[in-house]
Amino acid sequence: MSQTKVNDARYKAITGRAILYAVLVIVALYYLAPLFLMIVTSFRSMEEIRVGQLIEWPKTFTFDAWAAAWNQVQIGAREDLGLKPYFMNSIRMVIPSVLLSTAFGALNGYVLSFWKFRGSELFFAFLLAGCFLPFQAILLPHSIVLGKMGISGSTLGLVFTHVVYGVAFTTLFFRNYYVNLPGELIKAAKLDGAGFWMIFYRIILPLSTPILVVSIIWQFTQIWNDFLFGVVFSDPNSQPVTVGLNNMVNSTTGEKRYNVDMAGAIIAALPTVLVYVVAGKYFVRGLTAGSVKG
Amino acid sequence: MSGLSIQNVKKSFGQTHILKGIDLEIPDGEFVILVGPSGCGKSTLLNCIAGLEEVTEGRILMGDIDMTYAAPKDRDIAMVFQSYALYPNMNVRKNIAFGLEIRKMPKQEIEEIVDRVAKLLQIENLLDRKPSQLSGGQRQRVAMGRSLARQPSVFLFDEPLSNLDAKLRVEMRTEIKKLHQRLGTTIVYVTHDQIEAMTLADRIAIMRGGEVQQFGTPQEVYDEPANIFVAGFMGSPSMNFLRVEVGGADGQYHVLVASEGHTYKLPSPPTQADLSAYVGKQVILGIRPEQLTHVMPHLESGPFVTKVAVKVEVTEPTGADTLVLTRINDEECECRVHPAEAGKPGEMMDILFNMEKAVFFDSETEARI
Repeated sequence: MSQTKVNDARYKAITGRAILYAVLVIVALYYLAPLFLMIVTSFRSMEEIRVGQLIEWPKTFTFDAWAAAWNQVQIGAREDLGLKPYFMNSIRMVIPSVLLSTAFGALNGYVLSFWKFRGSELFFAFLLAGCFLPFQAILLPHSIVLGKMGISGSTLGLVFTHVVYGVAFTTLFFRNYYVNLPGELIKAAKLDGAGFWMIFYRIILPLSTPILVVSIIWQFTQIWNDFLFGVVFSDPNSQPVTVGLNNMVNSTTGEKRYNVDMAGAIIAALPTVLVYVVAGKYFVRGLTAGSVKG
Repeated sequence: MSGLSIQNVKKSFGQTHILKGIDLEIPDGEFVILVGPSGCGKSTLLNCIAGLEEVTEGRILMGDIDMTYAAPKDRDIAMVFQSYALYPNMNVRKNIAFGLEIRKMPKQEIEEIVDRVAKLLQIENLLDRKPSQLSGGQRQRVAMGRSLARQPSVFLFDEPLSNLDAKLRVEMRTEIKKLHQRLGTTIVYVTHDQIEAMTLADRIAIMRGGEVQQFGTPQEVYDEPANIFVAGFMGSPSMNFLRVEVGGADGQYHVLVASEGHTYKLPSPPTQADLSAYVGKQVILGIRPEQLTHVMPHLESGPFVTKVAVKVEVTEPTGADTLVLTRINDEECECRVHPAEAGKPGEMMDILFNMEKAVFFDSETEARI
């Protein structure tokens, strides 16, 4: 009697998957736990936190802490209460910074990929050095520059700073994306009679959507979350939300209001979360996409 | 419409000399092919003609206008690229119209031209598609359509068929030839495929190392190659090259070949070469496989035909003929015989050496004698 040998790999694969997913779920939970704690705490009242545990499900559900953080807490000695004025400063700063640094990056990348000049590789190498620059090192010289330009302690000065130090990254993004586009496209457009700007607007920019999204998300996150430049190069009227949050949480007078601190931290983080949710799938696609096919 | 005159064109990148003085006179309406191995400078020359690269020295004239330093858009030239270079973000209609739009042509006129070109190339049903939705052959057509739309006086093709599969390549080849016959526009076409060169060209320029080796009609370069490189490059299977010794006197010369212990005297036709200076010396005999056939009675009595017994080493059937690889003068030699007459590997068979079209090369300069 002969026994048929069985090569059955069905359950082997499933077992492996199950272990993998289990590990992933545990890691994800571990990672999400602090966020969960923040959200839960922000909806509790201060009495509840005082008498209860630090980690506990809210017994009463209240938005008071959110309202307080937004426009009721006294931060520093300013007249406008809450994080709202700081939040608005951040928005005024982040929008022009992101748009300008992305635009310059796209233009730089376009030139460095398709309109190479003598020394353009060296130029690119120097620009890359900007990506590795520790920003602490340039605080002093840069503040002198801002002073000489007459824009220190202003939103404009912050915008200028973020654009200058963001261009290194955005140029890298766009340049590395554009070198994968076929150079024959440019040749064809030249023969069709298009010039430098026409080729950029009509051919290259329409192909840049994935990398535009990457650049915008990256710059938005960097600039919105920046604390160093925000705290050094601003005055009370231009301080961004990261500085506001710090001032709020670190105020040493009165009771520590954990619920307000948590709500404030979430408010300060919301815009970046929003940007990721809206454009996140493009972000992953753009970072991994080597080139446009077609 | 105008011819193209390339005069002593040189192109260098620092110390690297890509083009070393190219001279080509191309009359109006001629289909010229630049062919050669990779790195021979053929694409660089094409880019220089297009104005995409500046020449280091020399002149390029279109008609009687010196275009050496004109901008690409002012040269009245259209180019089809190897990668087709269709604008991925535009549909076919926009792709074709782009160059016309930039030249500020009225909308009405653009539409008429697009329709006419689409009809000519049978891509009317593709006009609203994006390039990514097209097959290789369709992209190829659109790329040609884009260049046709502008009605340039010179077309440049940069290896346009090399991304297509074998069958489509043959189809498009015929198509391009038909197009040229209908339009009668000057074409300069770069390829590394010698069959493409033979089938399409009015004249072929064979290039190597930045120099033109020979510029002539397909039949000329095939029958009367200027040197060993040209002879070996054109034709498939390639020409056989045998080192042989020259004998004879007074206008009657022959060369000696040895096969399986026998030595044969192959008479050299006086019309092919004057070997008087080479008696007693070695030359290189170039003879194409189709001149080495199985025994055919009507040929056997020819004045320059010799029967040679050879040993078959390898056979390669191609269907129409069988290629028989053998060894003569201790060098590999390919013969083209009727499939039924081909011997089996290891067997002996008789081969007719027809010397009527044989060519001879100097063994040192490699130039044709």
